[in-house]
Amino acid sequence: MFPVVFRKPFPFRRLCKSASSEDTIFALSSGQGRCGVAVVRVSGPASVDALRSMAGLTRRLPAPRTALLRRLLHPHSKELLDRGLVLWFPGPHSFTGEDSVEFHIHGGPAVINGILQALGSLPRLRPAEAGEFTRRAFHAGKLDLTEVEGMGDLIHAETEAQRRQALRQMAGDLGQLYNDWSLQLKQSLAHVEAFIDFSEGDLIEDGVLYEVDVAVSQLRVEVEKHLSDERKGERLRSGVQVVIAGSTNVGKSSLFNILCQRPAAIVSPVAGTTRDVVETPLDIGGFPVLLSDTAGLRDTCDCVEREGVHRARQTVEQADLTLVVIDTAQLPQDLLMVPGLLSRYLKMVLPNRKDEQCLLVLNKRDLLPKSHIAVIQRVLQQNPGLPPLSILSLSQSVLHTENYLLISLKTKLTTLLFLFKVRRPTGEWALKKSWM
Amino acid sequence: MSLARRLLVRQHFLSDCFVRAASNAARLKYDVVVVGGGHAGTEAAAAAARTGAETLLITQKIQTIGALSCNPSLGGVGKGQLVREVDALDGLMGRAGDRAGIHFSILNRSKGPAVWGPRAQIDRGCYREFIQSELLNMPRLTVIEGSVEDLLLSAADPEQPGKHKVTGVRMANGGGEILSGSIILTTGTFLSGSLFMGQTTSPGGRMGDPPSCAGLSHCLREVLGLKVGRLRTGTPPRLVKDTVDFSLTELHLPDSKPVPFSFVNKHTQCKPEEQLPCHLTYTTPGVDKVVRESLNVNSHIHQDTRGPRYCPSIESRVLRFPGRQHQVWLEPEGLTSDLVYPQGLSMTMPPELQLRLLREIPALRRVEIRMAGYGVQYDFVCPTQLFPWLQMKNVQGLFLAGQINGTTGYEEAAAQGLWAGVNAGRIALSLPPMSLSRTESYIGVLIDDLVGRGVTEPYRMFTSRAEFRTALRPDNADLRLTPRGFEEVGCVSWQRYQEAVRVSRGLGEALSALQSITLSSFQWREKLGHFSISETKSTLISGKEVLQYKDVSFDLLASAFPDILSPYLEFSERLKIEAVYQPHCEKQRQEMERMRKEESLALPQDIDYFSLPVSLSDEVREILDRARPSTLGAATRLPGITPAAIIHLLRFVTKVGVTTGEAAYMQVRGPKPDCWRGASVHERDREKATVVQS
Repeated sequence: MFPVVFRKPFPFRRLCKSASSEDTIFALSSGQGRCGVAVVRVSGPASVDALRSMAGLTRRLPAPRTALLRRLLHPHSKELLDRGLVLWFPGPHSFTGEDSVEFHIHGGPAVINGILQALGSLPRLRPAEAGEFTRRAFHAGKLDLTEVEGMGDLIHAETEAQRRQALRQMAGDLGQLYNDWSLQLKQSLAHVEAFIDFSEGDLIEDGVLYEVDVAVSQLRVEVEKHLSDERKGERLRSGVQVVIAGSTNVGKSSLFNILCQRPAAIVSPVAGTTRDVVETPLDIGGFPVLLSDTAGLRDTCDCVEREGVHRARQTVEQADLTLVVIDTAQLPQDLLMVPGLLSRYLKMVLPNRKDEQCLLVLNKRDLLPKSHIAVIQRVLQQNPGLPPLSILSLSQSVLHTENYLLISLKTKLTTLLFLFKVRRPTGEWALKKSWM
Repeated sequence: MSLARRLLVRQHFLSDCFVRAASNAARLKYDVVVVGGGHAGTEAAAAAARTGAETLLITQKIQTIGALSCNPSLGGVGKGQLVREVDALDGLMGRAGDRAGIHFSILNRSKGPAVWGPRAQIDRGCYREFIQSELLNMPRLTVIEGSVEDLLLSAADPEQPGKHKVTGVRMANGGGEILSGSIILTTGTFLSGSLFMGQTTSPGGRMGDPPSCAGLSHCLREVLGLKVGRLRTGTPPRLVKDTVDFSLTELHLPDSKPVPFSFVNKHTQCKPEEQLPCHLTYTTPGVDKVVRESLNVNSHIHQDTRGPRYCPSIESRVLRFPGRQHQVWLEPEGLTSDLVYPQGLSMTMPPELQLRLLREIPALRRVEIRMAGYGVQYDFVCPTQLFPWLQMKNVQGLFLAGQINGTTGYEEAAAQGLWAGVNAGRIALSLPPMSLSRTESYIGVLIDDLVGRGVTEPYRMFTSRAEFRTALRPDNADLRLTPRGFEEVGCVSWQRYQEAVRVSRGLGEALSALQSITLSSFQWREKLGHFSISETKSTLISGKEVLQYKDVSFDLLASAFPDILSPYLEFSERLKIEAVYQPHCEKQRQEMERMRKEESLALPQDIDYFSLPVSLSDEVREILDRARPSTLGAATRLPGITPAAIIHLLRFVTKVGVTTGEAAYMQVRGPKPDCWRGASVHERDREKATVVQS
C-alpha cells in the first residue's frame, strides 16, 4: 500500500500555464517607414520574459522607467539583432497599465523586422491587433479622450497603409497562393463543423476528420516553409529589399527614378549627389519590392558623404538583391578585359558577393559603338561565372516589358519569393505572361 | 431585493395554486399579452408569469396549444443544448419532453460530450396535454381563444428609444380591446402565411387552422414600418403505420438508459423497455423520377423564397444531389398512434404524386397517406430590428419570438419565447431588461446571431455557432443559468434553485477532493491497474488529472478512494466531463472575460452616427447607422468597421453607456478571428451542406 499524499490543491495555473493568463502583445509603436529610432512596445504579463531573453538580463531587471543600453539578441539563435535602449515599466505605471517593455532600436526595416520576429518566437507573445494597445490603455483608465481621438487617426493611417500594402500583395501569384490557403482553411473548418454538427446517422462521409487532419498538417508545413525559407515570408510581407549600388555618377539615381516612375531621387551630373539611402516601396510584376538608392561608393574626405558611403555598404549587406550599376566609360579599351573588370568591380561593390544576389547593369549604352555591344555580349557568354548583364541607356524606357533588365529583375524576384506550389506552366513565356 | 420579491411571488403562488384560469375570463388589462400558442408563445407566457407579471395568452384554439406541427421529436445536436438551457431557466419544454418522450437517444455519442445532442421522439398528444395542463394551471396566467386583429398604439415615451409604443391589442370579430404595455408576438408561420400543395395555394399558417388576420401583418409592415422578408418551409405526409413494411427497413433502437432532458427529472416518464424504435430506409431512383415529373405541377418548389437548408424537402434534395440515395427515417408519432412520420420526405407536390413517390420506396410499397405533405410560405420580421432582449428597437413594449424572427425549429422558438417572456415581464414590472451573453449560453448565441447578423434563410442552431461550446455543454446548463435565473432574472423557482446550488456545491467539493489526491504515476498504476499514463512523468499527478485519461472513470477512482470520493458518486458522469473539459475551458475563460469587458460598453441607441463629431468615414457611419449595435463589442463584429472607428466610438461609450446602467447586462459577443466575419459564415454553411450528403 502506498501512502496517499494529501496536499493543498496546487494552483491550477500549473496545469495549463501557457494558456491561463492574458496574452502579451507587441508591435512597432513608432510610425511605419524609415526613421532614425524605432520603438517596439510589449505589453502584458510575459513582457518581463521578453525583456530578459532579448536583452540578456538573466539576473536582475533594470530600474523601472530607466533607459538601459543593451545588446539585443535573438532568444533562440542568440544572433545579435541590434544595440538599443530597453525600458522596463512594471504595471500599473505604464501606458497600458500592464507590465510593459519598450525597445528603442535603430530604424531600419531589417532591424525592426528582426526584433519583431524574435518577439514573435517567444511563448505567449503575439502581435497586437490594430488599436489594441490603446484599448488596453483605455480599459486601464490610462488615456483621456482627446488622446484616444488622436490615436484613432494614427491607427487609421497605419491600417490604411497596411491595407494598401495588402492589396498590392494580393495581386498576382501571391494573391492566388493566399486565396488557396484561405480556401483550404475554410474547407477544413467547414468539414470539422459538419462533423460536430451532424450526428452519426447523418451520412457524413467517412474519414472527414482524418482528411482535415492531413490537409491542415500539410498546410501548416506549407505555411511554415513559406515563412521560414530564407526570409521569403518576410519579403512577402515587407517587400524584397532591392538596392541600387555602384560607383559615383554611373546613373544609379536615374535608374531608381525610372523604376519608381517618378523623380524620387535628385539626379545631377555632379558625382556624390546622393548621400543618404533613398527608399521607396514598389510593385514590380505583383511582387512587393523595397527599392533603395545609395550613395556612390568611393573614398572621400567629406565626412557627410563618408557616412553616406558607410550606409550604402550597410544597405547592400542587408539587401536581398543588388543592382550593380556600371558606366560604359569605365570599361577598358580591350574588350576582352571586360569580364575581369566586372569581377573586380563586383568585388568592390559586394565584398561578400553571392552570384544569385545581384544583377549587373551597364549604363550609358549610347556612349558605346554598336559593334562593341555585340562583342561585350559575346565575351560575357564565354564567362558564365558572371551575373546577368543588362546593357541599357537610361534615356530609353526601361519599363518596356521586353527590356532585358526588367525581365531578369522579375525572374530574380520570382526566385526570391519562390512559390513552391507552382501551378502555372514554367518557362520564359509563361513568366512573361504572368507579369503582364 | 430579488430574493424579497421572489418570496412575495412564492406566497402569491401558494394562495393561487388552485385557481384555474378560465378560458373566457378575459380581464381588460394585463401586464403582458402573448399572441400565439406555439413553442415560443407557451414559453413566453409561462416565463412572463414566472417573473411575476399578470399574463394573458391569446391563441386561436386552446386545443392546439403545444402542438408539434411538424416532426414528432425534440432536441438533437445544438438543439438539445437549447432544450437543456430552457429547462435550466425553468421553462416547460424539457419537462414536457421527459413526460412525452417515447424514444430517447443521445446523438453524437462518438464525439465529445460538449457536442452531444440529447434527443427524443415525442408522443404528440401527450406533449400537448402536458403543456396545456401546465399553462392552464399556472398562477397569474390566463388563456383565451381568439384572434388578434390589430395592435393598439400610442405616442412613444420620449425617455425611451423608439418611435412607437404599444398599449394593447384589438381582438377580431368585435372581441374588444385588451390593454397591455408589453406584447409578445409569436405568430410563427401565420404572418401572411400561405399553404402550398401541388398547384393550389391557400392562405394559412398550418393545415387545418384558419389563417390569422391580415390586420396584424398590415400593422407591422405599414403602420410600424418594420422590414419584413419571406421564408418557406414544409412538412412531409403522415403515413398509416399498418401499411408500412418495417421488415424492409433498418431498425434503430433507443438508448437503453434514457437520459431525461430536465435537470429536475431523474427518470423519463416512459420506461426504458417501453420505448419505441425508429426505422431507416432510403429513396430509390424511382423517387428521383417522380420528383422530376412533378416539377411542372409543384408551385412551391419554383418560388425563390429561401427554405431551411438543413431540413430540405425531397424535391430540393433530389434536385441538389441527383442520383443519390437519401435517408428516410420512419418515426413513431406516439405510443398509441397509428401514424408514422417519414422524416426527410417533406414535399409539396399534388397528393396523388406524393403517394406515387412514397410507393417507389420498397418499405412503403403499399403505404397509405393520412394527411398529405405541404409547404408554407410566411413573413418574418428582420430580427436586426430587435434589441438583444427581443424587443423591437422601434416600438416600445413590442416583443417578437420564434419563427417570426426567421428561425426554424421548436427549440429555437422556445428559447426565444422564454427570453422574450422574461423581458416582457420585467419591463411590465418596471425592471430593466436583460440579455444573455454568447459566453454563457446557446440562447445568447442564438439571439445575438439573430439581432446582430439577421437571417437570409431559416436559422437553425448548431454547436459550431457557439465559439465557447466546450464551456456551454448540455450537462452544465443548470450551473450556467439556474443561479442567475433565480438571483437576477427571477424566472426560476426556489426548489430548482436549491437543487442547482446543491449540485454546484457537490461538484465543487468533489473536484477539490480529486485535486487533493496526488500520487506518482507509478503509484497510480498500482492503485488503478493498467492504464496509459506516461512512464516518464516524474511529477505527482492529481486525481483530477487522472480522471482526464480516457479509460479512467470516476467510479473507478471512487472504488480506489471510497472514503474521500464515494459521497459524490451521483455526479459520476458530470465529474468526468468537467475534468476532461476544465483545461479547455480554462483556456477560453480569459478570452471570454476579455470579451465581456469590451461587450459591457453599451452604445446609446438614439445616437446619430451621421452627425457624430468624430472622424469616421461615411461608409463606417452608414454601417453603424444601419446595424445600430448595442455594444462596442457588437460594433467590433460588424463587417467593414475599422479598428480606428472602434477607438473613436470608445469616447461615447464612457459618456452615455455607463449612465444608462444597461451596460452590465448588454453583454453580447466579442471579436472573432477574421475568417468568421460576415459572409464567410454563409460560405461555410454552403461548404457544410456539400459535406452532408442530403
